[in-house]
Amino acid sequence: MATATNVMARPASASGLWSWITTVDHKRIGILYGVTAFLFFLLAGIEAGVIRMQLAVPDNTLVSPDVFNQMFTMHATAMIFMAIMPMSSAFFNFIIPLAIGARDVAFPRLNAFSYWTFLFGALLIHFSFVVQQVPDAGWFSYANLSEKPFSSGQGIDFWALGLQVLGVASLAAAFNFVVTIINMRAPGMSLMRMPLFVWMTLVTSILLVLAFPVITVGLIELTMDRAFGTSFFNTAGGGDPILWQHLFWIFGHPEVYILILPPMGIVSEIIPTFSKKPLFGYPVMVFSGIVIGIMGWAVWSHHMFTVGLGPVANSVFTITTMLIAVPTGVKIFNWIGTMWGGSIEFKTPMLFAIGFVALFIVGGLSGVSHAVSPSDAQQQDTYYIVAHIHYVLFGGSIFGLFAGIYYWFPKITGRLMHEGLGKLNFWLMFVGMNITFFPMHFLGLNGMPRRIYTYSSDFGWDWLNLVASAGYFVLFAGIVAFLVNFFITVKNGKLAGHDPWDAPGLEWTIASPPPVYNFAKVPQVVGLDHYWLVKRRAAAEGHPITEAEAYVDPETIHMPSPSYWPIVTAFGVLVLAAGFLIEFPWPYIKFPVPIIGGIISFIGVLGWSFEPAAPEAHHGSEDHH
Amino acid sequence: MLLSPPDRADSPAQVSFRRFPMNNILKSTKQWFQGKHLLALGILALSLVLVACDANAKQSTFGTAGPVAEKQLLLFNVLMWVMVAVFVLVEGALLYAAIRFRRRPGQPLPKQTHGNTVLELTWTIIPTILILGLGIWSVTTLFELDKPPASAAGNTLDVTVTGHQWWFEFEYPNADGNGTVITTANELRVPVGRAVEVLLQSDDVIHSFWIPKLAGKVDMVPTRNNRLWFLADETGTFYGQCAEFCGTAHAQMKFLVQVLTQEEYDAWVAGFGQTPQLSAAAQAGQQVFNGAGGCVVCHTVNGSDNPAIVAGRMQGFLNTEVGIAPGPNMTDLATRQTFAAGLIDLNRENLRVWLTNPEDIKPGNHMASRATIYQTADGRTSLTQTQVSALIEYLLSLK
Repeated sequence: MATATNVMARPASASGLWSWITTVDHKRIGILYGVTAFLFFLLAGIEAGVIRMQLAVPDNTLVSPDVFNQMFTMHATAMIFMAIMPMSSAFFNFIIPLAIGARDVAFPRLNAFSYWTFLFGALLIHFSFVVQQVPDAGWFSYANLSEKPFSSGQGIDFWALGLQVLGVASLAAAFNFVVTIINMRAPGMSLMRMPLFVWMTLVTSILLVLAFPVITVGLIELTMDRAFGTSFFNTAGGGDPILWQHLFWIFGHPEVYILILPPMGIVSEIIPTFSKKPLFGYPVMVFSGIVIGIMGWAVWSHHMFTVGLGPVANSVFTITTMLIAVPTGVKIFNWIGTMWGGSIEFKTPMLFAIGFVALFIVGGLSGVSHAVSPSDAQQQDTYYIVAHIHYVLFGGSIFGLFAGIYYWFPKITGRLMHEGLGKLNFWLMFVGMNITFFPMHFLGLNGMPRRIYTYSSDFGWDWLNLVASAGYFVLFAGIVAFLVNFFITVKNGKLAGHDPWDAPGLEWTIASPPPVYNFAKVPQVVGLDHYWLVKRRAAAEGHPITEAEAYVDPETIHMPSPSYWPIVTAFGVLVLAAGFLIEFPWPYIKFPVPIIGGIISFIGVLGWSFEPAAPEAHHGSEDHH
Repeated sequence: MLLSPPDRADSPAQVSFRRFPMNNILKSTKQWFQGKHLLALGILALSLVLVACDANAKQSTFGTAGPVAEKQLLLFNVLMWVMVAVFVLVEGALLYAAIRFRRRPGQPLPKQTHGNTVLELTWTIIPTILILGLGIWSVTTLFELDKPPASAAGNTLDVTVTGHQWWFEFEYPNADGNGTVITTANELRVPVGRAVEVLLQSDDVIHSFWIPKLAGKVDMVPTRNNRLWFLADETGTFYGQCAEFCGTAHAQMKFLVQVLTQEEYDAWVAGFGQTPQLSAAAQAGQQVFNGAGGCVVCHTVNGSDNPAIVAGRMQGFLNTEVGIAPGPNMTDLATRQTFAAGLIDLNRENLRVWLTNPEDIKPGNHMASRATIYQTADGRTSLTQTQVSALIEYLLSLK
């Protein structure tokens, strides 16, 4: 192979910018995902600040209604698709191969492609700010408001095409992790010995594989309506706007679990570690995660209780939605069961994990109240829902992800984050989150609809809004504490050692940060909570383990080589999608640019296929895809 | 024992843990929570919740005034107390576990339990039973609230509500039982104690019809005929608002429901649309209203909003790609409390601000973007102040 296809030699730089651009190392890609996602998290947080400042007092004129609509649209879109999902992806990338004892993911170049496609998709959507055509129809962009007659600018096009690109990234990553987890586990790691985070990643990846095609179809139809005048959702041409809602929520509800299951997996790692007890009811925890993943497909219409589907359909979705609370409740009970009788150490990751459980209980309970469709008719589209989703996605997902950052930071950087600042960060976020979002329950029940940019003083919503807006500053201070902590410890933090928490996972058996080859020797997994078993056995035998697996010369281990082709192919996908924003007044070919994008992608895939497996020809026989 | 703290004292993480007086804080917190502090805290929390649930707020779902909203609230209230109980139990267990089982110096490795089948079955089955009970009640209520009770049959009032960006159109196909058709906007008048059956439609995008004190919302979807019913137990003014995001002025799409006694309602129907008495000034205003390219292009006075008629009037004036957008029917405007979709009080001053530049009150509204008199450099009307005054005079004579 190698001799026939030296189209372009594989890149060889091991440091500097090019090494990051061409990397296929899952750890580096994980870091890229994490840093990018965090930047979008900050941006979306600032957008939330604009929303809260506008609503702090009645009849405020800080921003115009159009800017306000852009802010809540981009806040939710960025938080969901460019902050929470890729932050989970960052942990999938960095941790999963380590947690299953693998050298890398199954398809390292596809992994790099996922990242670059994600980055390009996120940049494409945000380019709308540069050209002043910002999406403004909400993260759900309900048809027919999102159709040309009612949204005549290019905002919705940016949104739809950007999401398409992000969808490509998510799908590629999801396939990669399904294959990786099923095929790349170290010997001895049977399915029921997989750490819960690995299990939840598997369930999430399967959900992604099944859910994204649905939104892809919806987005294609929306783009067809807007670019070519079809009538999928356009009522003037006989289209049905409710079709969009079904497509959106058949994707959108599993998406909720895509956002929450990985953080649930993360806290299921952290609570046992800091309680010094195995996860309570491990098989039930696995099973409830799978059940949530399956039942998540049967509840989408609870987002549509007021659409007028009739009492029969609403009854069905009332019952299914209520039932999904059972496996979710089981998870909460089992986390408490894990802590019960344990020896709990309150390090920052554990505080965030307990915070996750405490706040998720609130979000879970208000979730049950949405299932009650008759009373939901009063709460749908009010601030009560805003309160609920922030307890689930901020109190849940974000707290879980912060727990993960504090937990795995020493593994990723080799250094510990500062505990004092970490605790300050936690308490500011915990208190700030409750001050911001708890009053919103009452605002909703007192009749305040969501997505309104102003309200007048005589509706009795003033002081609760002011409290919520004040809470934003506490939250903001919490994030500042995190950033300070990050920047002082990333280079100068205390050295962590390979296993600072006395943790049970495989990733803690190797050095921090892990060597490029991860495991010098493929580990033999002895059971669930592998490293605990190994350490205790060794201690019982009188020679306790104090060191990580010894370094070996990386030259002796064959690793997948860097490649230019993932970023080239991803760039082609970007051009393909963005090309639909540029319409030419030509007959037949209104959109020529996507053709160029298609050609770039094709060349990328071709180069990818014929690429030699390694820079040196003698490695060519061991083909790594 | 490898896992016990003394063996790990050299770990850097352990050092900072020691420095942070977590155990002292936990101890004093625990002491503080015992006894009357806990009671005080509970009372404080409860009173805050009671203050925050404001039944008097104009759109409060707690201040119900009819059977539909009442049944919905009952379900929510029961659910809320169940939620409060579960919240206290589960958060209590979490807090107790966190405090009771915190690590103590020299503590050996805790017992390595892996689960407890009986316990796990219990906390699966109990919530399932609780939830199914709630589910059955919800489904029963759902069907119960689907249509007005049989006792109301033959005594209901039909109203067709059409959502427009960004105002509500109300049409009574048979306002008095004798086939009188009434078309009005943004202020719905209904008799007390009579079930109102509402047919929900939309002229453009999806809106939602919601009067929190009378009934939960149902969406107004173009291409669909959704239905909702409500009944008001008491007279008075109730407030409604669009609850589905519908574009720029979504926040300012409101309406009022005036619940009248049957006599008041009958009088209103009988007197609706009488030719108004116009002063000389008002007649000058009427000429502005009906003049070429005037208000009459979109607004009707004393007539129906038959789409064909409206479309005919508006041909050539509107950007056809955007579709035809009739404005609110102005018949008997002066009898309404508010204008601009329930947004501001109807009076001379507010009308002047509105007519001078509607963007100042309701950014994004279609009148400002389409009416020829507002296509000026600064968006202010091209009418003279005298013309505006005359127009106000005319509008306030419509009763």
